[in-house]
Amino acid sequence: MRITSLRIENFRSIKALDIELGETTVFIGPNNAGKTAILDAVRIALTRRWGQRGTGFTEYDVHLAHENDDPKASAGIAIELRAEEAAPHEWPDEIVQAVDEIVQTDPTTGKNSITLRVTCAWSAAEGCFQPAWAFLNAARQPLIAGSARRLNLERFWQYVPVFYLSALRDADDEFSARSQFWGRLLKAVEIPPALEGRVQKVLDLLNKKLLRADPRLAQIANTLSGATRVAARDRDGQVDLRLVPLKSWDLLSKAEIILRNEPHWPWLPLQRHGQGVQSLAVIFLFQAFVEHLLAELYEPESTPVLALEEPETHLHPQAARTLWTHVSALPGQKIITTHSPYFVQRVPFRDLRLVQLTENGTEIRWLPPSFSARVPHVPALDAVVAGTGGLLAYDRAARTLTVGGKLEVATYRDLLTCYGTHAERAVIQGVLRELREKSLLYMSDHELRALETFARRIRGEIFFARRWLIVEGQGEYLIVHALARALGYDLDEHGVSVIDAVNNGHPATFAALARALGIPWMAVFDGDPAGVGYVRAISAREFTAAHVAQRCNTLPAGTLEQQLLADGLEPELRAVLQSIGEANALTVDRAGLERCLDDNKTRYAAELSARIAADATLAPRMPQAFRDAITGLRGLI
Amino acid sequence: MTDSPLESALLKLTDIQRQAVEWDQGPLLVLAGPGSGKTQVLTCRIARLLDRARDQNFRVLALTFTNKAADEMKGRVAGFVPGLEDRATIGTVHSFCGQILRQHGVHLGINPDFAIYSADDDRKAVLEDALQRARSEGKQASPDDVKYLALIDRLKSKLIEPAAAGAALASLDDAKRVVATYQLYEDELRRVNALDFNSLIFEAYRLVKTYPAIASRYRRSYPHWLIDEFQDTNSAQYQLVRTLAGDGFRSIFAVADDDQIIYGWNGASYKQIQSFLADFSAQLIQLPTNYRCPAAIVEAANRLVVYNAQRTSTKKPLIAGKTELKYPPSEHIQLRVFDTDEEEAAGIAQEIAGRDRSLWGQAAVLARTRALLDRMHKALQQREVPSVIAQRRDNFLSAEFRWLAASLRQIARPLDRRNVAVLVEAFNRLADSAVSVEQVITDAETTGRAYLVTWLETAGAQKGIRATETNLLTLLLPCATDPSGVKPAIEAILGEFGKKLVGPAADSDLGEDMAAWKELSRDIAGHIGKNAPLDQFLQELQLRSKEPSPKPDTVTLMTIHGAKGREFDYVYVVGLAEDVMPSFQSRQKGDLSPEMEEERRNCFVAITRTKECLVLSSAESYRGWRKTPSRFLVEMGLVNADEET
Repeated sequence: MRITSLRIENFRSIKALDIELGETTVFIGPNNAGKTAILDAVRIALTRRWGQRGTGFTEYDVHLAHENDDPKASAGIAIELRAEEAAPHEWPDEIVQAVDEIVQTDPTTGKNSITLRVTCAWSAAEGCFQPAWAFLNAARQPLIAGSARRLNLERFWQYVPVFYLSALRDADDEFSARSQFWGRLLKAVEIPPALEGRVQKVLDLLNKKLLRADPRLAQIANTLSGATRVAARDRDGQVDLRLVPLKSWDLLSKAEIILRNEPHWPWLPLQRHGQGVQSLAVIFLFQAFVEHLLAELYEPESTPVLALEEPETHLHPQAARTLWTHVSALPGQKIITTHSPYFVQRVPFRDLRLVQLTENGTEIRWLPPSFSARVPHVPALDAVVAGTGGLLAYDRAARTLTVGGKLEVATYRDLLTCYGTHAERAVIQGVLRELREKSLLYMSDHELRALETFARRIRGEIFFARRWLIVEGQGEYLIVHALARALGYDLDEHGVSVIDAVNNGHPATFAALARALGIPWMAVFDGDPAGVGYVRAISAREFTAAHVAQRCNTLPAGTLEQQLLADGLEPELRAVLQSIGEANALTVDRAGLERCLDDNKTRYAAELSARIAADATLAPRMPQAFRDAITGLRGLI
Repeated sequence: MTDSPLESALLKLTDIQRQAVEWDQGPLLVLAGPGSGKTQVLTCRIARLLDRARDQNFRVLALTFTNKAADEMKGRVAGFVPGLEDRATIGTVHSFCGQILRQHGVHLGINPDFAIYSADDDRKAVLEDALQRARSEGKQASPDDVKYLALIDRLKSKLIEPAAAGAALASLDDAKRVVATYQLYEDELRRVNALDFNSLIFEAYRLVKTYPAIASRYRRSYPHWLIDEFQDTNSAQYQLVRTLAGDGFRSIFAVADDDQIIYGWNGASYKQIQSFLADFSAQLIQLPTNYRCPAAIVEAANRLVVYNAQRTSTKKPLIAGKTELKYPPSEHIQLRVFDTDEEEAAGIAQEIAGRDRSLWGQAAVLARTRALLDRMHKALQQREVPSVIAQRRDNFLSAEFRWLAASLRQIARPLDRRNVAVLVEAFNRLADSAVSVEQVITDAETTGRAYLVTWLETAGAQKGIRATETNLLTLLLPCATDPSGVKPAIEAILGEFGKKLVGPAADSDLGEDMAAWKELSRDIAGHIGKNAPLDQFLQELQLRSKEPSPKPDTVTLMTIHGAKGREFDYVYVVGLAEDVMPSFQSRQKGDLSPEMEEERRNCFVAITRTKECLVLSSAESYRGWRKTPSRFLVEMGLVNADEET
């Protein structure tokens, strides 16, 4: 069983948020955007002792839209966790039977699900923030009676135990005898009674010998026994000195990990190793815990939920890159936050969630495989749904219409017709229009696979960017960086990623991706047939003409080189070529010059960039399209 | 190792009982005669299933005929395997249907907090509302149509939907109006999110029939089903069981006695038992040994029941298994004959009065009809023998408790408009006030405040309201906005009611309700837990009879139907005359009619309630008409055929 979706309302920076969770889900976003709030929401809902006063959330957890808002006036925090089978009978009988009273079975798909809602709102009657919980039915109404027994809550927790590894995890703490994984592993160690007895004898003997080794030890003991006399008891107590551990548990509790990186280096305790190794060791400790103890402490069918902050902490980029493979292979469900582009490089697109803080609170962008909206059922709907070959699905209990791709105009019109005479048609048509608009953000599996293949190098970085500048090739890539800096708009400083789209896929894919992820973008393309083709391809992704005109700039003279020449930069280009070793660059004819530029695209662009940086008079003479794009980037929100 | 309670219970079983308990060869029908220890077999079987699978989570489903039987079985299972009883769902078919619908009813548009209307008054009011609404919407509907309610009940009990009712009623002239009324009634129930008893079965059936995935889910959670008193399952209940079971599920253990079918009028039939054997290819085990009655009664019962033709042909006669008896054989069965019914009542009452007072609590008078019981009640009163007529009560008797129950319903279902009327009227009666239901509803809806709050204010502002009633309102007030404090509020309100019970002029209805309430709270807490939420408490309360257990040393008077599943040391069966038992109607149908056979089974059930002494009586005239002694007396061999004429 794993948590498949999450709904959070009025919690810290979050006003209202619906999040779908996969086997592994990776949240990225700036500091304070709300990533930790999401992890905390899961953790609190699954581990706090709900239903008793003073548990759950505090007034500081209540989302406030304005500084002066009163948390007591808020509708309260609500967190809904939903666990649903991916296919009927995915969950073993043992789980369904144990939590029978809270499991909902979908009447058509046969898939089981459980939805838990925890809330916390101000109660005037009680004078405190009152925590409450309920399991919900398919229509999200609270299940009452037997289903509302606390027992069910505790059983549910038992099947989805949540573990939290914060960014500040400390190997000293995590490997202490009282820690969540290491301590429990040590405590579970079983020592046969015979061995335990022998250990005890050896310890006693050792103690005696040590005491005899230096007579001062006995004298110290004698002095200390004065303490028992002061305690004014009838009989004298005794004080003994114990130089070795008293019990085998004392020995075990001191157990520590030692390791060495090379065969002939000395063994060192983990705490003497670098921070990166320590951080990693804690993550693998979790794996050891799950493999050896989870079934014993929880249920054999339990699936751990690991909330993991910044797994890349203190790691070398190379290590961060390979870390994904290890983390995604960890047992159970993983909910991860990261700031590492290297880590993100290997994360599948659909597992990524971009967290942003907007004026509506924390928002999430991602690439969902489907889109949903709530509309009432009408008989005509069934035929439309059936006619789409699985693209549309309707859940009658939840009144939810789901589209697993782009909602084409024809189907959209059919849907509108279904509600043509409905009393609330105005509202419903609005909902459907919104659904269609959302569905335009759809990115197909096919397209994402292409990106996985071609755009691996840049994908880590672009998800952390605040704006994208889409260009064709590496030449433009180099020049716009230098040009922007010269124009007083440092691209790195402003979080702009320049994407040389042709090397990494198709420009239209990136434009669509930017829209889906809510990343503002500008583009500059050549004025040649290829460049015009890119603009046309972007238009075909259902961007409005005005939008395309605003975002896409083309070089009127054709290619980048043709444009530079047209802008009167021929002498500079000849000089650049000469300086990079093209001996006849100053004398070759125009056609020869163009050929030469073509053959040395990246090299001349690099040199030109250096000159733009050095010579302030150069920037204003660079192609208008680039300068417009950079100006455009400044204004984008 | 010491034996666990379960192991020692298993050791005490007879071989054949143990065979039934340990049966693992698929579907089984246990034909269990009266007093054969079937409850022990059922509870041992449940406990054993759970005990043998302590590391598993599956649940066991046990369906009983009454809530009392369910409570009793739940208690025994808890005693056998403490801590595992939570995995046993033991309840009536109705309560199990309630559970299914609370969890999945939303797929039929039923919200989890539905109300259950058991009282006829409530149901009639629902139909009246529906008819009035229909008229206000310009549809044809007459207030008279309320008379169709009984017919609607019959349709529902046969799982006939409004859409299909037309065909079923084709022979009636007003079939169309019945169908329209039926539809209005169903729509209104859905509108107020309420179900009646027949709906519980019908809707659960509809749900699992329409959505096999949900039936499959229950089979998965409950791989073992046990059904008690299978003989009295009606066809709707049997259809539900079959649909839930689907094509492949066979793990059903049914206990039945075709000689104890006394709900034939409700659709129960020995054919159901035959269908079960055929539909599920079930094996058969018989438990003929009776451990309850003296041998003489067992023999009489055997002689009686062979006159019936509609029973399992291979059914074994009962075997007397009781070894310890307190009285000499001459007292095991005695027959009394009187001149008139008046004298019969007086004579039997005198005989009971003559027994030691400490034995009265173990005595029961059984009769075919309520009228005979009323007469016995009076006769016993004259002799100062305390007695009570046991009968299911769908509602409390006193205005106080009707008001308390309505208040709690309003707290759990703040939007229930229908309940507002019950609430207001009960309190008006109790406080002699005249708050108008319409006014409360209108005020609440115009101000946007809750009905309960609005009513509390209106009622509190009434002139001449007494201090005790003001107290009640004050106690209830905090719960109107915050239900979490409802438990202490109930206790305080009961305390207020208790004050009225002091002194000689105390209201006996209130006293009975108080006793019933305390018993019900205890039983429900035992069944669903002390801290069960209010809404579940109310749903359980609505399913149960509001009748208290008799006080100690009180003689129980019951109809034979009410005595089902019960046993007493001293049983008096009165009215053993032709036209009384067997009834006039059954004689009209003929000596070999199914109705006559059901009368015979009534007699069979009546006499087999006896643990020590059975007294049968007949009079030579009833209501002034001369009657001959019952043929059953002849069949049992207690009266010679010659004597009869």
